[in-house]
Amino acid sequence: MDASKGQKLSGMQKQVLSLYRGFLRAARSKPAEDQRQIESIVSAEFRRNSNQVDRKNFLYVEYLLRLGKKQLDQLKSPDTIGLSSVNVSSCKNQNADT
Amino acid sequence: MALRAAVLRHIRLPVQTLPAIGTRPQSQRSFLRLFSSHDDHLTKEEVIDRVLDVIKSFPKVDPSKVTPDVHFQKDLGLDSLDNVEIVMALEEEFKLEIPDKEADKIDSCNLAIVYIYNHPMAG
Repeated sequence: MDASKGQKLSGMQKQVLSLYRGFLRAARSKPAEDQRQIESIVSAEFRRNSNQVDRKNFLYVEYLLRLGKKQLDQLKSPDTIGLSSVNVSSCKNQNADT
Repeated sequence: MALRAAVLRHIRLPVQTLPAIGTRPQSQRSFLRLFSSHDDHLTKEEVIDRVLDVIKSFPKVDPSKVTPDVHFQKDLGLDSLDNVEIVMALEEEFKLEIPDKEADKIDSCNLAIVYIYNHPMAG
């Protein structure tokens, strides 16, 4: 997200911020440690996407928004106590020495 | 129509003569009370101080740059996600719930101070 947005937020930007806010609000209802964990994961995820995803790639952003909303609904359920993220990286440089 | 007439013929309402305004007895005149919550309202200085404290304690902010008219994104180098976080921190400090539409507009210290000062429920 660049800093030149000023006060004119596009509809899509507003949705993203609304989703982010939703996550932070949901985190408040969890115990303190889980709240911190949720906040750090969500914060990192949103920022990573904001740097990597092209702002004009509306389809992908909309997909991420839908995905995020589903995850948020799950998070809001009192049965859910936290979330974690899995980093799947493809190791292309594996040492094949035998 | 006939039914209506038949019913009306059987309904009787007591007729009351309401007392004229000027002739109300003394005991009934004291029911008007003014309620004002202005004594509990925060002073502008208090709002400014607490808002500045919240912003200075934000981890990504350099406290020395924080002034009452500072702009979050333009002056403090924050992004819109940080903006959301700051507004939520202000919500917690002042025990408010700020709707999305208003929260999106708060992007500077000044706007935060004005909004909170004018909010009747700020505490």
